[in-house]
Amino acid sequence: MTEKSGTDRRRITRREFLGVSTGAAVGGIVAAGVIGGIAGYLAGQSAAPPRAVTTTVTQAAAERTVTVQRTATVERTVTAPQVTELKVGYIYVGPVGDYGWSHAHDQGRKWADQRFPAAKSAYIESVPEPQAASAIESLITKENAKLIITTSFGYMDPTAEMAAKYPDRYFVHISGYRSGAAGNAPNNMSSAFAEFYQLYYLNGLAAGAVTQTGVVGYVAAHPIPEVVRHINAFVLGANYAYKKRTGKNIKAYVVWLFSWFDPAKARTGAISLIEEKNADVLAYTEDSPTVLQVAEEYTTQKGKRVWSFSHYSDMRQYGPNAHLTGQVVNWGPLYLEFYRMVATNTWQSVDIWTRIGDYVPYRWRRPVDKSTAGQPEGTVYLAPLNPAIPSEWQAEIKRRYEQMKELIFEPFSPEGNLGEPIRDQSGEVMVDGKTYVVSKRSGERREGGRLDRDALWEMDWFVEYILSELPRG
Amino acid sequence: MVELSWIEGVLALTVQFGTVYLLASLGEIYAERSGILNLGMEGMMIVGAAIAFVFTNALGHLLSLVSVVLIGALMGLLLAFLVVTLRLNQVVVGLALTLFGYGLSGLLTQPAIRARIMRALNPEVPEVRIVTQQAEALRAVKVPVLSDIPVVGPVLFSQNALVYFALIAAVVMWFVLFRTSIGLAIRSVGENPSMADSLGINVFRIRYVTSVIAGVMGALAGAYLFIGYQPFWVEMMTNGRGFIALALVILASWSPIRAVFGSLLFGGVEVIQFRLQLFGFAAQTPQFVLMLPYVVAIVTLTVLSVESVRKRLGVPEALGKPYYRE
Repeated sequence: MTEKSGTDRRRITRREFLGVSTGAAVGGIVAAGVIGGIAGYLAGQSAAPPRAVTTTVTQAAAERTVTVQRTATVERTVTAPQVTELKVGYIYVGPVGDYGWSHAHDQGRKWADQRFPAAKSAYIESVPEPQAASAIESLITKENAKLIITTSFGYMDPTAEMAAKYPDRYFVHISGYRSGAAGNAPNNMSSAFAEFYQLYYLNGLAAGAVTQTGVVGYVAAHPIPEVVRHINAFVLGANYAYKKRTGKNIKAYVVWLFSWFDPAKARTGAISLIEEKNADVLAYTEDSPTVLQVAEEYTTQKGKRVWSFSHYSDMRQYGPNAHLTGQVVNWGPLYLEFYRMVATNTWQSVDIWTRIGDYVPYRWRRPVDKSTAGQPEGTVYLAPLNPAIPSEWQAEIKRRYEQMKELIFEPFSPEGNLGEPIRDQSGEVMVDGKTYVVSKRSGERREGGRLDRDALWEMDWFVEYILSELPRG
Repeated sequence: MVELSWIEGVLALTVQFGTVYLLASLGEIYAERSGILNLGMEGMMIVGAAIAFVFTNALGHLLSLVSVVLIGALMGLLLAFLVVTLRLNQVVVGLALTLFGYGLSGLLTQPAIRARIMRALNPEVPEVRIVTQQAEALRAVKVPVLSDIPVVGPVLFSQNALVYFALIAAVVMWFVLFRTSIGLAIRSVGENPSMADSLGINVFRIRYVTSVIAGVMGALAGAYLFIGYQPFWVEMMTNGRGFIALALVILASWSPIRAVFGSLLFGGVEVIQFRLQLFGFAAQTPQFVLMLPYVVAIVTLTVLSVESVRKRLGVPEALGKPYYRE
C-alpha cells in the first residue's frame, strides 16, 4: 500500500499537471496584468503633453519681442520649430518612483525635455542589466529613438554592442568608462557621470566643523571605488576642519550595507555607528534619507546631537534639525547638452565627469560673500548650509566651493590635508603633491600634483584617519 | 568588560529588527501547519508596508493598522481562493502573489495615485503629508514598573505596540495551536486532510482561515517594517525579508515559540554584523555573518529530512498539496 502511494507520488497525474499549468497561467496573467497596468499608467504619464514647454517658449518669445530687436526675435522663433523632432530613449535600472537614482535621472530627463521643445522622450524603467540590449533595441525599433541614454553601470557593455550595431544612432552611458573618446567603444557612444567627491569633501569640512566627539561615521553601500573615493574625500575634509579646530586627528568609521537601498539596514548601520563609536556626524551612500532620519530621531527624541546630510536631492524635510548640507544632482543640463549635439548634427564622443562649476552660467570663482554654495546650479551642487556651521567654516566651505569651480583646489592633494601628504592606512604616502599612486593593486606611481581619472576611478585604499577596514572585493 | 547599556542597546535593537521576521513567520506557521505553503509572504508584507505608508499619513496610526489588517485579510482570501478552491499550484500562486504585491504596492504609492487615495480618505490631509516619503513612526510605550528592570526592561518593555503585539501573539498562537481543539484541527488538516475531513473537520474552512491569518500577519510585518522600524518608503523595501521569514519557519520547525527565538537569531545577526564590522572582526567578510542564519536553516532542513526527526517535530505531512475531496 505504502509502496503504491510512493510511486503515485512520483508520477505527475493529469490533475496535478493541470493544476500546475493553470496555476502558471493564472499567475502569469495576474503578474502580467499588474505589470501591464503599471507600465500603461507610466506610459500615459510620460506621454502626457508637456504643457509647461509650450508656455515657456511663448513667454520667452514674447519677452524677446519686447526687449530685443524685432528681426532677431522673428528669426529665432521661426528657426526653433524647424529642428526636426528628436526622439530620445532612456533606460533606468530601478523604478522611477519618487526617490533615489532612477528618479534623479527621470527628473533630469524632464528638465532637459522642458528646455528642448523638439525633444520627445520615452523611458523604460526597472530594466534588469541582462535585458538592457533588448530594451535598447525596442527603444530604437518601436520609438525610433535617435539618442539612447542608459543609466546604470551594468548597461555599459550592452550599450557599446548596440552602438556598434546601430552606427546612425547616438548613445550615452552613465557611470561607466567606455566611449569613443576613451577609445574602447564606437564613436557614437559617450560616457558621462555626475561626480560628488568635491562635494563630499565640503560635507567633510562641515562635519569637522561641528563634531563634538571627533568621530564621524559613514554608512556605505558597496565597497567599489566610487564609494571609497567619496568616503576618503569626506574624511579628508572632516580631518581638515577638525584638526584645524582642535589639533587632533578625526576618527572615522565605516559600515557596509552591501546594498544600494535598504532603509531598514541603513537604520541599523547608522545606529551602530552612533552607539558603538559615538559618531555624531554621519555621511552615507544609500538611496534613501534614512541616515538623516535617524540623526533627526537622535537629535530630537534621544537627547544626542547627531548630524547628517542630503544625498542626491534636497532632503531637509526629513531632518530639519539634523541637516548640515549635502550633495545634490541635476542630470538635466548634461542631457540637454547631448540633445543639442544630436539635434544639430554636431555629435562628438565625449567622456565627462561633471563637477562643481560645470554647466553653470558663470564659470568663474566668486568672492566668498557672493558665493553660490548652497544654491541650485549646474549638475552637482551643495545643499543649503545649516547656519549652525560656525561662520568661519561656512566661509571656508564657500571659498573651497568657489575655487573648485575653476579646479584650483583639489581635495586629494596635500593642500586638502593641511599641507601633509595623504597617507593610506598602512602609512604609505599616496599623494605627496608631486606624485601619486594610481591604485594599491597596480602600485604604479605617476607624476602630477593631482589625481587623474585612473587614480580616482580605481581608488582602492582608505586614508589613514579611517579606522575601519576596507573589504576586498 | 562589556557595559550593560551596550547589551541593552544591542538586544533592544535585535528585538525591534526580529519583530519583522516574527510577525511574518507566525502567520506563515499557521498557513503551513494547515498544509498551505505561502510563498506570497513577501508580497503580503510589501502591500502591508505600502498601506501603512499611505494610510498613516492620511488617517493616523490606528486606522492605518486596521486597513493593513483588512488588506492582509483580502490577500489571504485571494491566496486561499487560488490554492484551496481552485487548487492551483501553491508555488506558482505564491510567487505570483509576491510579484502582484510588488506591483500593487508600487502602484498605490505612485505620487499621483497616492495623493488621490489620501485625499479621498481624508480631504483635510495637508499637502506636506502627501508629498513626503516618510510617516510618523510608532512611539515606544514604556510598561510601568517593568521597564525599570535592568536589561529586561529596555529590551522587552520599552518597545512600540506592534512589538508587544508580536510577542503576545506568539504565545497565544502557540497555545491555540498545541493546546486547543482548533489547533488540533489545523494541524490535522495539514497532516492528513482526508482523515481530518472524515472526522468532520471542514478542511476548506480551516485552510481559508489560516490563509487569512497568514495574510494579516504578513501585512502587519510589512507595516511594522515601515512604521515600527524605519519609516521611509521605497519600492521593494522589504528586500526579500518575506522569504527570510519562510526560512525562519523551517528553522523554528513550525512552532510559534521557537519562531520567537528564531526571529531573535535572524534579527540579531543583522544587528551584530554591523557591530562586528566596527570591531574590525568581520570587516573582510561581513557576508559570512549575514549567511549564518541560512546555514542554520539549511542544517535544520537537513536534520528534518531524517524521517524520525520529522515525526517528532511534526512537519506538516500534507504541506503544499491541494486537497481533493474524494
